[in-house]
Amino acid sequence: MVKIKKENKKKSISYAKWGYLFILPFFVVYAIFTLYPQLLTIYNSFFEYYRDGLNVVGPNFVGLANYKALFTVNSSGYIPLFKFLGNTVWLWTIGAIPQFVIAMMLALFFTSTRLNIKGQQFFKTVIYMPNLIMASAFSMLFFALFSQVGPVNQLLMSWGVLDKAFNFLGVRVTVQGLIGLMNFLMWFGNTTILLMAGIQGIDESLFESARLDGSSSTQVFFNITMPLLMPIFIYVFITSMIGGIQMFDVPQVLTNGIGTPNNTSMTLIMYLNTFLGVSKNYGMAGAVSVLLFIITAILSTVVFKTINKK
Amino acid sequence: MKKLLSAILAVLMVVSLAACSKPADPTPAAEEGKVLNIWTWNEEFWGFLGKYYADEVVDATTLKKGDVTIKRTTYPSDGGAYQDALDEALLNQANAAPDEKVDLFLAEADYILKYTNSEATMDVKSIGVTDFSNTYKYTVEAASDAKGVVKGVSFQCCPAAVIYRRSIAKDVLGTDDPAAVQEAMADWDKFNALAEQCKAKGYYMISTTNATYRVFSNNVTSPWVVDGKLNIDANIEKWMDQSEEFVKNGYTHYTSNIWGAEATEDMFGEGKALCYFGPAWYFNFSMTNAQDKEKGSFGDWAICQGPQAFFWGGTWILAATGTDNPTMVADIMNTFINNEEVCEKLVRDEAQFSNNQVINNKLATDSTYGSAFLGGQNDVAVFAELAKNIKFQNITQYDQLCNEGLQKYFTEYLDGQVATREDAINNFKDYIKTTYPSLTVE
Amino acid sequence: MKKDVNKSAKLKLLLSRIVVYGILIFLAFLCLFFFYLMFVNSSRSNAQLNTGFTLIPGGNFLMNFKNAWNDGSINIPVGMKNSFLIAAFSAVLTTYFSALTAYGTYVYDFKYKSLVHIFILAIMMIPSQVGAVGFIQLAFKYGLTNQLWLLIVPSIAASAVYFYMRQYLEATLPLEMVEAARIDGSNEFRIFNQIVLPIMKPAIAVQMIFSFVGSWNNYFMPALLLNKAEKKTVPIMIAQLRSADYSKFDMGKVYMLMLMAILPVMIIYIILSKSIIKGVTSGSVKG
Repeated sequence: MVKIKKENKKKSISYAKWGYLFILPFFVVYAIFTLYPQLLTIYNSFFEYYRDGLNVVGPNFVGLANYKALFTVNSSGYIPLFKFLGNTVWLWTIGAIPQFVIAMMLALFFTSTRLNIKGQQFFKTVIYMPNLIMASAFSMLFFALFSQVGPVNQLLMSWGVLDKAFNFLGVRVTVQGLIGLMNFLMWFGNTTILLMAGIQGIDESLFESARLDGSSSTQVFFNITMPLLMPIFIYVFITSMIGGIQMFDVPQVLTNGIGTPNNTSMTLIMYLNTFLGVSKNYGMAGAVSVLLFIITAILSTVVFKTINKK
Repeated sequence: MKKLLSAILAVLMVVSLAACSKPADPTPAAEEGKVLNIWTWNEEFWGFLGKYYADEVVDATTLKKGDVTIKRTTYPSDGGAYQDALDEALLNQANAAPDEKVDLFLAEADYILKYTNSEATMDVKSIGVTDFSNTYKYTVEAASDAKGVVKGVSFQCCPAAVIYRRSIAKDVLGTDDPAAVQEAMADWDKFNALAEQCKAKGYYMISTTNATYRVFSNNVTSPWVVDGKLNIDANIEKWMDQSEEFVKNGYTHYTSNIWGAEATEDMFGEGKALCYFGPAWYFNFSMTNAQDKEKGSFGDWAICQGPQAFFWGGTWILAATGTDNPTMVADIMNTFINNEEVCEKLVRDEAQFSNNQVINNKLATDSTYGSAFLGGQNDVAVFAELAKNIKFQNITQYDQLCNEGLQKYFTEYLDGQVATREDAINNFKDYIKTTYPSLTVE
Repeated sequence: MKKDVNKSAKLKLLLSRIVVYGILIFLAFLCLFFFYLMFVNSSRSNAQLNTGFTLIPGGNFLMNFKNAWNDGSINIPVGMKNSFLIAAFSAVLTTYFSALTAYGTYVYDFKYKSLVHIFILAIMMIPSQVGAVGFIQLAFKYGLTNQLWLLIVPSIAASAVYFYMRQYLEATLPLEMVEAARIDGSNEFRIFNQIVLPIMKPAIAVQMIFSFVGSWNNYFMPALLLNKAEKKTVPIMIAQLRSADYSKFDMGKVYMLMLMAILPVMIIYIILSKSIIKGVTSGSVKG
């Protein structure tokens, strides 16, 4: 026992305090500015607590009643939480698949010494530019482009594809498609840069020796690039998924806040936002938040586990 | 680490509890404050205050009147920021320092009841705003709480009319005379019949189904909420009937939002819709497509009452409970409803329809006055007549989102994206239930 | 024979280059198109914008600029300054302290190390909206409105940035390097600041960009907490123009300010993205 301790001491003696010291600022700031409000939210989820006009109702302790209400079937005959979770995951998926495929492609292009792409700085800047536009500005442009009197309809009609203006912003397939397209445009540059930075971090000598061994570029990708990029790829995937579950502003602006049509584009955070709107329903919003956290945690753990198994 | 965390937390909790339980200090206002705070979301009233009330404009957010400094606090209305911040300020009003207290704030018709029905606003008669004889009745009703206590005034009045296309009226009815056109759409049955005539000539009666919504919702016989329960009035059902019929028969061009690109497309010269609905500010400032020099239809418009009288918009100034400047608050209110010189300037120089009947009637009978956009018609004369019939009744603090929600969800049905009308109404009910926890929705 | 192999390899390279450039040009066109639209819209008057859509710029670019610049309800230079202060300080603090925290849990062994790591990952999964509501309530309660620092300091504890830094360290920092530095007698802070930070330069640049863009475009929280004219940020000013009353409403001004808001972030992006470069690690490891 004593022996082991001594050996351990040799390796990490006096360094542990540095560890504590280095993580201290994070935790102090987190406790004061984030944890406290978050605990307040969880605490609120067990209370009836909202506003009726300017009158504050509650807080009255109601136990799990808010959670129960969230699992109750609504007037339309479904449990909103489940439907909106499904919507959210779907809307994220249709934007995320092209986002990852294209971003990975571009990251490889840019880092390939063989291709030696000219004008990299230009392309890297341009593909990131959509992310610089505010989501509200972006949506305004989409509204103008795809309205029934907008240029897309005019073009399609003049080409004879359509004989009558199509309501792009009112029909499920096109609304979801446009949300996916907007998310893709806004985030593929971002993902490209993350993956690129990851590839840049890989020791160049590994690529060199692989090339000397006569490995094909496919082999290099699967045997060297991908395994070494894995930590960054996991990061990109998980944060994109968490961002996806928190998807809000694009569908909110594009569907006037109601997830047009027939709630098929309503996301979980839009649902949360409806509770928080005029009535500041801290009780129900707290309950949604807690469930949202649980959902995210489960999904992330599943992703972590499956990727790490490989 | 854990200990530290819990210690910090404990301290924070205690501090917050202490702040929470701090009692409101009763302030017997002996002497009035030297700073008057007014909350706004835009420049309109602030500009009038600087021009017609203050002695000196110090800078973009400061005015001087006597030895009192008038300061404004402005939040954008986007995303509800204005109301959110104002609510927090009003709820914390008791703890605020006298010079930081909200004294006056602006509110729109859509949500004014939230403030008038609360303790956050005060009886203005008690501070010296007593003469409402020249104002329009509905503007006083709108600023009153459930018991009839008046909490503020409006500096404008927004009666609305049918704004019709002269050339289309001539083609369909053979005349563009306001009296004759009014006769042809004097009630909803006639309105619907005229729609058929328009269709026969290749026109649309309206550009979008949502255009008539406010006329119906302004004339309901029961409010959106009765005894805490959501209630859909028969007149709202009538709007749904009409919209369904208009879409089915092709009387309407689109089903879009009234501000959308589709609805305003028909304001152009080659537009095909006969009617728009709105008050003076609507055709003066929001019908920009009609006013466009090249593609527009300037002068090809006129107004008449239409099937039912209604109002749209307007801004009220409300007195906040706990103000330390009651005399000046009352003085400002009196200026904008009873100072005839100021009211006349509002009409003549600011394109406002004032909240003073004497002034409006003076212009209504002025034969030299006319709007070029309306082909020379004297719109003040029409509006002065209409304003008398407006009632502010069956209105609740829930109206804004009920009205917006119903239109949005019903439009999905009109667009064929929701199978039945019941499904659309169920979507609407679910939305209201989520939005207003205090309401019972069945 | 050898020449043929060379030839076909060259041909293959040429073909793949054509395809790659084709894809890049298409994507660049798509992205630039929306910028061009913003530019066109910012050159048109409110009336022109209402008449619908066009690809030809209108003649009101300077007019819109003047109108936006002289608008009494907003002060653009002040807004730019406030936005810049918040975004720049947040970006620096969030990257530095996240890297520090990540280094702390990666290099050092201490009792609750893995617990700490898992805890930070867990809080990353709490949607930001969850805390935001409580945060605003508390800010009002303690009278902390109009304090720029309140929007800056919380960025020190950014779990997602921590996660990235930690993953990056795992992928790029060999622990032997730290050991080597220790043998050289460097103290722990110096090792971090002078040896580890340079290695993390690409990661820091990437996260600085994201953080800067995020705070620059943030509306929700600042809109509720900042009401004094001299404290407002650019997105609040854009919203201010959008909630102008009907007689002053001018979409041309709105687009103009949106366009102006993009330029500073673009410059920051171009500067920082140059730091995402190759070769820092390999050099240090060998040395």
